[in-house]
Formats: sequence, structure tokens, C-alpha cells
Amino acid sequence: MKHFKKLVRPYLIWSFVLIVVPLFLIVLYAFTVDGNAVLTLNFTLDNLKKVLEPTYANVFVKSLALGAVTTGICLLIGYPLAYMIARFKESTQNLLIMLVTIPMWINLLLRTYAWMNLLADNGIINRLLMKLGLSPVTMMYTDFSVVLGLVCNFLPFMVIPIHTSLSKMDRSLIEAAYDLGANKVQAFRQITLKLSMPGVINGIVMVFLMAISTFVIPKLLGGGQYVLIGNLIESQFISVGDWNFGSAISFILAVIILIAMRVMKRFDKGDE
Amino acid sequence: MKKSKKLFSKCYILICFLFFYLPILVTVIFSFNSSKSLTRFTGFSMRWYAELFRNSEVASAVYVSVTIAVLATVISTVLGTITAIGLSRSRKLLKEYLLNVNNIPILNPEIVTAISLMLLFSSFGMTKGYLTMLLAHIAFCTPYVITSVYPKVRGLDPNLANAAMDLGATPAQALTKVVIPIIRPGIYAGALLAFTMSFDDFVISYFVSGNGVKNISIVVYNMTKRINPTINALSTVVIAVIILVLLAMRLLPKLRRGKNSRRPGNRALAWAVAAICLCAVCLTLPKGMGQAGEKPSLKIYNAGEYIDPDLIGLFEDMYDCTVIYETFESNEMMYTKLSGGETYDILIPSDYMIERLIREEALAPIDWSLIPNSEYLMPEVTDRSYDPGNVYSVPYFWGTVGILYDTSVVDEKDLKAGWEILRDDAYAGNVYMYDSERDAFMVALKALGYSMNTTDEQQIQEAFDWLTDQRDTMAPIYAGDDVIDNMVSGNKALAVVYSGDAAYIMSENPDMAYFTPEEGTNIWYDAMVMTKDCANTRLAHEFMNFMLDPENALANTEFVGYTSTVSPAFEEMRSGTYKGIDAYVPDVDNSNNEIFAYQEAKVKKIYAELWTKVKAK
Repeated sequence: MKHFKKLVRPYLIWSFVLIVVPLFLIVLYAFTVDGNAVLTLNFTLDNLKKVLEPTYANVFVKSLALGAVTTGICLLIGYPLAYMIARFKESTQNLLIMLVTIPMWINLLLRTYAWMNLLADNGIINRLLMKLGLSPVTMMYTDFSVVLGLVCNFLPFMVIPIHTSLSKMDRSLIEAAYDLGANKVQAFRQITLKLSMPGVINGIVMVFLMAISTFVIPKLLGGGQYVLIGNLIESQFISVGDWNFGSAISFILAVIILIAMRVMKRFDKGDE
Repeated sequence: MKKSKKLFSKCYILICFLFFYLPILVTVIFSFNSSKSLTRFTGFSMRWYAELFRNSEVASAVYVSVTIAVLATVISTVLGTITAIGLSRSRKLLKEYLLNVNNIPILNPEIVTAISLMLLFSSFGMTKGYLTMLLAHIAFCTPYVITSVYPKVRGLDPNLANAAMDLGATPAQALTKVVIPIIRPGIYAGALLAFTMSFDDFVISYFVSGNGVKNISIVVYNMTKRINPTINALSTVVIAVIILVLLAMRLLPKLRRGKNSRRPGNRALAWAVAAICLCAVCLTLPKGMGQAGEKPSLKIYNAGEYIDPDLIGLFEDMYDCTVIYETFESNEMMYTKLSGGETYDILIPSDYMIERLIREEALAPIDWSLIPNSEYLMPEVTDRSYDPGNVYSVPYFWGTVGILYDTSVVDEKDLKAGWEILRDDAYAGNVYMYDSERDAFMVALKALGYSMNTTDEQQIQEAFDWLTDQRDTMAPIYAGDDVIDNMVSGNKALAVVYSGDAAYIMSENPDMAYFTPEEGTNIWYDAMVMTKDCANTRLAHEFMNFMLDPENALANTEFVGYTSTVSPAFEEMRSGTYKGIDAYVPDVDNSNNEIFAYQEAKVKKIYAELWTKVKAK
């Protein structure tokens, strides 16, 4: 039982150096003024207070809402996809999962540019519509284009963990449920859904985390007016050069996320 | 009943895949386009493939991307898997701690991870390059592996391993023969995610790498200024290779069916990975050693797509040296990287950034006697306010900011309104503004008749009101460099653009015209400067002189499309390639034009905050 305990040690050291120490630097910035002079520490809470101003609070709400919508849609589309893939024979499953992943190996920016070409006012889809005698639709720089881009990009991160959970499921359990008189809905809810819960939670967490801090896709498909937490942090670090405020925003984001994860974990435990 | 169900699920999978592959299909199709456009297919051609194989930058980027992704995947998969197994046996407190720490790289926005790692490597005094990039990739890939493997380990019956050991297996055997085979799907999923994250990463790679080490994403991001189908061609090649490997993996076991191997697919994959790793290590070693060669080297940091790459090779041959060439997306990004302790010999930033670098005493003065070609410099570009007397800077390109309009939509009479045309409701919903606080506020301040360098809070407030009013009545799109492709396709009637980009758009779409309003605009200069850290100042001067050579300057301005500062090249372009394209000739007679001055941090913050308010109503 105790044999494998030591296996955590390399990562314990690794994560301390490459995760905890850098994180500490960021926290230090969040609570100080004039970031470039770390040696003379000047502690302040102003950076954190500034985040609460309506403009920035709004950005937080918008990002969280967009993250939730994206995650929800990914789950709605991704669960059936993972479920259906899991019912093929193993070699086909491997191939299909590969096919889900491959698009991610093509540069994100290129894929987003391709969507822009498809959705633009004079783009490929609209030109097709006009050829068919239909009137063109404005799709670019709307909520629609942003959510579409995000879902297309993050769906694999939902499908893969759910599929991993479903593929190891013992199918005889479902037959047993039927034998015991469960109908289809009951069997699905009591067996399949429950057993795939770790994968579902894993998928939700990954997609949500990535969706709320993304900035490239919303910027390109939604235009500059799509200010999200990711853009805000990026602009503080790069164009404004206010690393302290940028760190404060990401610190608050991290706190919000940690709380959200706690809540998720409750769900997870409750189901076990 | 069962059959129709199967059909339904097949259709569903097909539709989902269509959704995944639609953008990729578009990418592939346009890699065969005969013109530069990514929206209009003008005819079949292989010219982008020819360009791709000619481009050595892309080739080395592919090498870096692939080797880093493979090495990072293998290392993080091993590290993540053993950690996940160990974790399931650890005390609750340690488990909670590590799992939370593990989530940090996943939940932190990439830019934060990037900056914090950059600070870390700098404080350790590590030279940024291949190794730092690899370490960073392992750091952000491992959490994904642990997240995928840990749930599997948790679902494992702990008695299985114990039973194996009771039956005489050593702990290592129990691990490899019992535990790992059961959690294999989780390991595969984790490895797949790790490879994917690593292969497509830009932000972290950009900030932790240096000394000319670039992956595909870095190259692509710096090409976005004027995205060209070479990168589409590269993606097509990547896809083709993946398909070939997949086919081989499926066909090989069929060919060898006679041999009774249990998991042929996996074994083939393992061999392939091992082979790639070996190649990667072998190729890295000589490359790392070769870099410390005898030849003198020059490290240049320039904006993306801002030089004719042939000139770099020519310079290397002429002066028998090595040029390490890196690119940035914006002046601010360059400054951030310099703040992280990266050093260069020559930078090519813009006016206000040069002013800042001079103030911070980061630059070395130019010895003009070593630059005889300076006699060709146009009088209009020298001795400007950002660097009086050109003590530190050698002008490179210049131009203005103005309004690009679609002559088939915009009434010429409306242009008399100057910048106010951007608030003319006849064009509501038909406007692109430039998504940068300085350029947007320049438009508003000039429209109101103020200086674009104002620090008067009353005037700034008025400009803010102008911009919010414009936002509410005109619903403009705040676009970045995507405006270039959008205007080439004629998606909107009006756009605020840089003159060099306008000249390019006009050469691609003859319906477009450019004008700079009477109220004045931003007249800008980009120039070559030499840093204090520059070791080989002689070579640096030779490079600056080389770029001012009329023939080289002509090749450069023809490639980039921006206005040359070298008189013969400027005249040649004006009467030749860009004849009739007035955007190429900056309007220097308007006394209302200004040059951006360096802003104090305090003022900059005011502008930045108000700009965020304009955009995020």
C-alpha cells in the first residue's frame, strides 16, 4: 500500500520551483506598488480595490457568463459525441478520438482566421447564401461568432475526458440494471451518467477554466469591444505595463476559480 | 431499431466532425490559392508551397515545435503518471495541496504563467532558448496529464497492486504489469492533451524563449500582420503527415497479422515516439554546439513581416556573420521582453518607444561616420522630435495614420468632414476603428482640434465622450490587424489604418482610397537603434548602413509595402510599383500633423482606463 508513495516526490519539488515560486511572484506584484522595484516592497490593497470598479467588475461578469455558456454548449454537444464514440469497437474508438484531437494541432490563429473568412460579411457562407438567392446574414463580430469559435476550439477538451470515463465502463452493469427492471432512462441516469461523472467534471473544469481566460478568439471573432478578463490582463501586462494591476486581476480570478472548484468537488463527492 | 440508432449516431458524429474540420478545410483550400487573399479563391497554384520550402525560418520552427512537443509530452506523461499513482497513496493534506497547485497552470491565464516563468528564468540567470522553452512546456503540460490520469487511478482497486506483490512481483513489476495497463486510457488521453497544448502554444513560448528559437506559433503570430497562405501550406503539410502516420499505424498491423502481437497499434506508436525522441536529441546536440561558432553574430529585434528576409541572408554572406533575427507584435511587447532581461544588439521600434528608451538610457549613440549611406536619407525623416539630431536612431520606415474608404460606397463630399466622417450616421455600422488606445484617442483629439499628446484631463475627458458617442451611434468594430484582410475583401466602407497598410490594401483592392484629414494626424517613424548591450558595434553599424543602401532599401520597401526613408528607393516606388497609390506618400505639409510623444506612466494609465471603458460599456 505504501510502496508508491515516494513517486510524488519529483513533482513535489518540480511544482514548487516552476509553479509555486512563480505564483508567489505574481501575488507579490498584486499587493505592491511600482512593480519593477521588487526590492523596496510597498504593500497596498489599491490594486485589488480597483478591480471592484464597475467597469472591471462588468468584465468579470461577462467573462464568467461567456465561460458558462461555452461550457454548457460543449457539454450538450460533447457528451453525446463521447457516448457514441465509446460504443464503437476499440480500434475505431482510438481513431475517432484521434480525429477529434487533430484539429487542435493546427494553429489556433489559423483556425480562427478560417472562421473569420467563413463568417465575414462578404465571406464564404454569405456568398453561398447569395448564390442561393437568400439574403446575407451578419455573423462576424457578434455573440454568435464568439461562442461558435470557443465551442469549436474547446469541444475536444470536453469529449476526451468524458470518453475516457465511458470507455472503461463495464457494459454488463447496464444489462444488470435492465435485468433488475430499470428502464432506459433509469439505466442511463443511475449507471452511465454516474460512472461518467469524473470525466464530465474534468471536462467542465478544463473547458470553463480555459474559456474564461481566453482572449485571442474573442478578440478576433468578436472585435475589440469584446473585453474579457484575458484581454484585460494581457493589456495590463503588455500595453499598459501595469504589472501590479494585471497581477491583482489574475489573483482575483484565481480565487474565484478556486472557490468554484470547491463547489464542483462537493458535487463530485455527493455523487460518489 | 438498432440499425437506425447506429445510423443516427454515425450522422451525429459526422456532423460534429464537419464542424471541427470546416475551418481546416478552408485553410487547406486556400493554401492552393493563386493570390494572397484568404477569402476570394482566384485560381489554383502551388506558389505558397514553393515559398514554404524556400523559407528556412519555417523549417527550423517546425523542427522546434515538433521536438519540443514530443519531448514535453514524453517527460510530462511519465512525470504526471507516476505523480498521479503516488498521489492516490498520499496523505489527504499532501493530496489536497498538490492537486490545488496542479490546477494553477490550467486556471491561470496563459499570459500570467508566461510572465511569471519569464521572471523566474531571468532571476535564475538562465539564457532563454530551447531549454527554457522545454522546461516551460513540461510545466504547463504535466497538470493536464495528472488531471487525466488521476481520476483513473482513483477508480483503481488498491488491492490489485498489493495482490501482485503478494504473488511475488516487485513494486516496479506491479506498477508496469498491473497498474499501468489498467490506467492506460487515462495516460493516452493525458499524453494527447499534453501534445496538443504544447504544439499549439504561443504566449508562453514567446516569453520564455529567445536567441532565435521559435516554434510554429511564434512564426505564425508574427505573420498575422498580413497573413499569407504560406502558413496555410504548412498546415496542409502537417495534416498530410498526420494522415499518413495514422494510415500507416492502421495498415502496419494488418500487414503483420501473421505475427501474433497483442497490441500492435500501441507498439507501433511507442516505436514511432521513441524514434522521434532519439532523432530530436541527436539533432539538438550538434545544433546547440554549432551555435557557439567562430563567426561574429548580430541579434536583431524587429516587428513581424517588417523586412525582406532575403536581405538578412545577403548581409550574412557579405559580412561573413550570423544574424539572429527575432520579431515582436507591438512596441509594448518588445518592451516587456526587454524588461524580462533579454538583450539584443539592434532594435527597430517606433518614435515614442525610442524616446522612452533614450530616457531610460538603454541606447548607445550612433557613429554616423560609419554610415556613409546616410546621404540617401530623405530630409523629411531626420531630426524629428523623438530624437533631435538623430543621436540614437537611423530612420527605417515612416508614414501616417488616415482613413481608408470604399469609393463605391462613400460619397466624396462626405470626406470634407475630416475625422467627423467616423461619426456620420450614413455610415453607421460600417466603420472599423483601430483597437489601440493611442490611435483611437488620436482620432478623437484631432477631431476636437486638440493635440494628440495632450495631458489635459479636461481634453482627454472630451475625447472620451467623443469616443463613447461614436460607439453608441456608429457601433464601430474595434479591429486589430484583421482590418487589412477585411478591407481587402471590402467588408466595410471606412477604416482607420496605417498608411503602409493602406497602400497594400489599395494595391489589392482598387475600390479603396486613402486620405488624411485636414485637422491633422499622427505622422510616425520607425527607426533602427543600437542598445547599450551591443557588443559588436562595428557590425551593427554595418547592418544599418546596409539597410540604407538604395538597392537594399528598394527591395525592402517593395517587400514590406511601407514607405521608405531612403530617397532613391522612395522615388522609385512612387513612380513605379506604387504609382498612383497616394497612401505611399506621407502628407508632410500639414502643420497639424504630430509625432507621438512618450507618455508618463500616470497619463498612460488614464488613457488605458478610459479606453477600456469605451470598449467594455
